[in-house]
Amino acid sequence: MSYLSLENVVKTFNKTEVVKKLSLGIQKGELVSFLGPSGCGKTTTLNMIAGFLEVDGGKIEVDGKPVHLLPPNKREMGMVFQNYALFPHMTVFDNVAYGLKLRKVPKNEINKRVLEALEMVRLAGYEKRYPKELSGGQQQRVSLARALVIKPKVLLLDEPLSNLDAKLRQEMREEIVDIQKQVGITTIFVTHDQEEALAISDRIAVMYEGRIEQVDDPASIYNHPKTDFVSQFIGEVNHIQGKVLETYENKKCKMHFFGNEQIVSVPSVKNSEVHFFIRPEKIQIALAQSNDRNEAFQTKVERKMFLGAKTRYILKVHDRHLIADISNTVLNPTEIKEGNSVYTYWNPEDLLPSRMAR
Amino acid sequence: MSRKLPKYFFNFACLLVYIFLLAPILVVLLSSLTTTEYIVFPPEGLTLRWYTELIEHPEFMQSFTLSIIVAFGTAIISTAIGTLASLAVVRRQFKGKTAIVQLVGSPLLIPSVVFGVALLQFYSWIGLAASPLALILGHIILTVPFVMRLVVASLVGFDRSIEQAALNLGAGPMKVFFQITLPIIKSGVIAGAIFAFITSFDDLTVALFIVSTDVVTLPVRIYTYMQYQYDPIITSVSSIMILFTVVLMLVIERVLGVGKVFSSKN
Amino acid sequence: MQAGIGTEHDLLLQQKKKNLNKKRLDTWLLLLPTLGIFIFFFLLPLFFLFITSFKNFDASTGVGNEWTLQNYIKFMSDPFYLGVVWRTVKIALLTTLITIIISYPVAFQISRAKGRTRNYLTLLVLSPLLISMVIRCYGWVILLSNNGVVNNTLLKLGWIDQPLTLLYTELSVVIGMVHVLFPYMVLSIMGSLEKIDPSVIRASQNLGASSFRTFFSILLPLTLPGVFAGSVMVFSLSVSSFVTPAILGGPQVKVMSYLTYEQVAVMLNWPYGGAIGFLLILIATITIIAYSKILARSEKGVAIQ
Repeated sequence: MSYLSLENVVKTFNKTEVVKKLSLGIQKGELVSFLGPSGCGKTTTLNMIAGFLEVDGGKIEVDGKPVHLLPPNKREMGMVFQNYALFPHMTVFDNVAYGLKLRKVPKNEINKRVLEALEMVRLAGYEKRYPKELSGGQQQRVSLARALVIKPKVLLLDEPLSNLDAKLRQEMREEIVDIQKQVGITTIFVTHDQEEALAISDRIAVMYEGRIEQVDDPASIYNHPKTDFVSQFIGEVNHIQGKVLETYENKKCKMHFFGNEQIVSVPSVKNSEVHFFIRPEKIQIALAQSNDRNEAFQTKVERKMFLGAKTRYILKVHDRHLIADISNTVLNPTEIKEGNSVYTYWNPEDLLPSRMAR
Repeated sequence: MSRKLPKYFFNFACLLVYIFLLAPILVVLLSSLTTTEYIVFPPEGLTLRWYTELIEHPEFMQSFTLSIIVAFGTAIISTAIGTLASLAVVRRQFKGKTAIVQLVGSPLLIPSVVFGVALLQFYSWIGLAASPLALILGHIILTVPFVMRLVVASLVGFDRSIEQAALNLGAGPMKVFFQITLPIIKSGVIAGAIFAFITSFDDLTVALFIVSTDVVTLPVRIYTYMQYQYDPIITSVSSIMILFTVVLMLVIERVLGVGKVFSSKN
Repeated sequence: MQAGIGTEHDLLLQQKKKNLNKKRLDTWLLLLPTLGIFIFFFLLPLFFLFITSFKNFDASTGVGNEWTLQNYIKFMSDPFYLGVVWRTVKIALLTTLITIIISYPVAFQISRAKGRTRNYLTLLVLSPLLISMVIRCYGWVILLSNNGVVNNTLLKLGWIDQPLTLLYTELSVVIGMVHVLFPYMVLSIMGSLEKIDPSVIRASQNLGASSFRTFFSILLPLTLPGVFAGSVMVFSLSVSSFVTPAILGGPQVKVMSYLTYEQVAVMLNWPYGGAIGFLLILIATITIIAYSKILARSEKGVAIQ
């Protein structure tokens, strides 16, 4: 039984549906990310869950009870905003205490809980400061403390790290996950940054044009994308197409790509063209041919870019380009020069089927 | 040297303008100290006689009190209703919005003497005699446009997510307004209240039409007195009015740090 | 299950409708006090005065029972009254011109000042606005009267033999108006000055222009929107002004606002006073509408403060 469930939730703006019959079940204590490009409906959906936007169809339930008809101040959810939304005229202490004061919690308990919350976000001692005296990261932590101290049923985060610089973003996301797991609160995290989503989520809901394309744990999203959008949006991909030479039973075919033939598990028809994606890190290259890779084909290294832990090789074959990312410990980049011919190979299991025509 | 000349000339010109600005005020202040029975500047001799003689003119004290009461009432009501209306104008869409906004802004465009005449006729028509309330209503019309300008300016840049955060934490809409919104737009609201107070306190044009034997505001009293009498009492009353305004502004500056208000108004 | 979904959706629609109605009610509640007062104590009175201006004058009750256009015709065809209109406009034009000239240096000085100096100067320029116009004008009465400061000084310096009649003239009215309306022009010009990108000035100097040249070719034209907006404001405020001409001009220098007052308070001729009043409104409004139209056509406009 889901703790937070969305059933066929619809949102319409000016006669256009921006969220189209969205359904999702989130388990208690889970951290689910809404990931997608701008305009995909992730923030709109979050705002409907929080109650700042009305639901135009469907329903939202928490712990079995419908919440979509309740005003935002009665939903027992905690929200962390992109720009922190701290009350500028109150101290850090008063900001965090605000929700408790509203619930008429006795004064000494407020004191205790606020100080605990600030310790949890590592801001003990900052009680008397004002928001404008704090850095972005510190403000974000106060925002988190403020949302959690009221012990809400659900925690909602709306791109909380977008306004921070890259290094701080990484530090903060780890802190957020730690705290989330410590408290065990059901959490929704909206982001457009896939690395972030992959790093922290129990599950990711990839969204596009008002729909959920796929909901899965990060590894499955990355390695087994179910739609073309997910394949292309997450990580990088090369588009390739192959021709079916022969079909076999149990849905395998022999395909021809760039002079290499492989047995691929995909149902198809003889002589048809099938499109695939393959990720750059799944392409392997070698200067010499090896015996156990006789499906390798030749490509020419057009460019190489040193990226620290790995090197990116732009390979030209026929009139197409392939991007291959090779770890520098596997292949020393000084051994390959621009202009060299290399043997290129991939594992047929790493091919991701695509419905796109090129 | 010749490069500095235009600069000195420029600064001198500015100085002349500043003197021009302050001249009448200083003249009034200093003339109130003269020992003569008529107004002369520079004052001949120095005395506070004209201030102490005010006690024998209770009508000035009465007018002063009336002006303060009216100004206070105007400021409070104007600011309250103006702030509420500003919220509606900035955050809501409704039928006839443009017309309403123009209506509320139009007192700035109508010569106040015509408004004073119209108000007097209307009051006698509905049987509302001259009273503090009659004055306050008239002054509300004059001041609400300014209050709204100032409050709308504070509301326009307002970050709504702060209010959303308060709602999310459990505050109802009323609490959000009083605990969150109002404190944040405080400077615009207070600037509006101050402006309303001063405008009402200083008004002659409309108050001139809303008079009776016991309802005479201070500016009206001064105006009628100066047309028939020439003794320096007028200057001492005026000086007290000036000092009152200056003290009021200083107190407000101290208490609320309003210096920023004037530069942000610009 | 079908029936269940149906009622759930109905509940949703019901709630949305409730929310929408509440929102509408809230909006009107916010507007009601202001709107109410404005309709009853602003719109209605002006409307009644307007109607009155089309009625005849009755010596006993003030307002007669017949409809007439006579009040307007009388005003617009009598050279005396047209003279008053011209005088009102003339004074306003002079005021505007002089205000522009003396505001410029001050606006420049303040906009170049920084920090505390700037705050103090701004306060200095704005402070006369805090003092009642009655008092300020009275100060000018003291300064300009026959035995006032100006005359006494000129007599002492031997520049004149007899005191000049400065008070109760168009000159004194203009002086008083300039004094009262000056801050508006300064603020307006300063508004334009702030918007000028300082690198434009540096570019001009870098290209070899003298300060003089920079001022006339670059700064002046860029401040024109502010000057324009300020002029419209000063002109319409001047035309509408009552206190200043009443005190510094008195019955000798009658302007339209004074006429309105006189007809109503002294002659008790409400219809005629009303007509004059509405003609005054017309003049003031035409100025502002003309400005808005010109503003709409050019892109360099500045909003009236």
